Amino acid sequence: MFSRHFAVILLSWAVVASPTRAAAQTSTATLSANIGAVASLTLSAATIAFPDADPDTVPLIPATAGPILITAKSRATAGAQVVLAVQATDDLRSGVSVIPASNITWTGSGVGFVAGTLSTSSPVTVAAWTGSGIRSGSQQFFFRNLWTHPTGTYTLTMIYTLSAP
Amino acid sequence: MMTKAVWGGIITAAALVLVSTQASAQVVDTKTVTVSATVNAKAKLTLGTNTASFADADPDVTPLLSAAAISVDVKTRTAAASNVTLTVLAGGALTNASSDTIPINQLTWTATGSGFAAGTMSSSTAQALGTFLGGGTASGTQTYQLVNSWNYKTGSYSATITYTLTAP
Repeated sequence: MFSRHFAVILLSWAVVASPTRAAAQTSTATLSANIGAVASLTLSAATIAFPDADPDTVPLIPATAGPILITAKSRATAGAQVVLAVQATDDLRSGVSVIPASNITWTGSGVGFVAGTLSTSSPVTVAAWTGSGIRSGSQQFFFRNLWTHPTGTYTLTMIYTLSAP
Repeated sequence: MMTKAVWGGIITAAALVLVSTQASAQVVDTKTVTVSATVNAKAKLTLGTNTASFADADPDVTPLLSAAAISVDVKTRTAAASNVTLTVLAGGALTNASSDTIPINQLTWTATGSGFAAGTMSSSTAQALGTFLGGGTASGTQTYQLVNSWNYKTGSYSATITYTLTAP
């Protein structure tokens, strides 16, 4: 009985004493981070204006303030397409007079930016990229200046939408 | 022990659903821009030539002298449904160096083109050469004609015609 207890104590000491002699000890920790999709859009101006001009001399009127500078920050699924689109809520209106929104066009500069024509019926792509990142570019708007436009001061609203899937 | 395992599975499944939902959800950011455009009234008139000449002719053979047609181009921008008018007005009678005159109402014209109309010249009241609804462009021709009378005194006569295009 004594010898059995002695053996158990000796074994326990050996097990306890062993780690203190180890040269290295390893342990693991699991770190988790949830990276969700994020989209952030910044425009340099909230208004653009087209001045009056002679249709013969200025058939395409550029916006007075120059290009709109656009910064799009997005975090998306790898390989997914991030899209910046714009759509007019209505045609250009001045009282009862109407000029179709399609008379507004733009050119784009910067990687991923493309030219386009404004529409009220569907969003039109301003720029598209693959995956996450910070992208910058500009959009220069033009107004198609026709003799047939009725006189007036016209307005419309454009909605930009940056989508990151 | 069994209950613990079941609950652990349920929690793990819920976490997976939550994570996968966040990963597949599309996020958007929107901004609005207000666009304004100013369109003012304009009127632009272009005549193919600023002279019209009549050659001499026998009144019996050619009772109505005719000049070459003048092309007329009209460009206007105006309020919707407004009437654009093009008128002509003579500065006076046809007059020669001896101050002999031919009444200006001896001068008439024919016209071609949508909105253009024939008429008789006057030095007192502007006469309509064209009437157009709303802005836009219009092109036509005007051909002057002069009654060739035996009663005219010889000479080289002239008159000045003023064209006025009005876009309200």
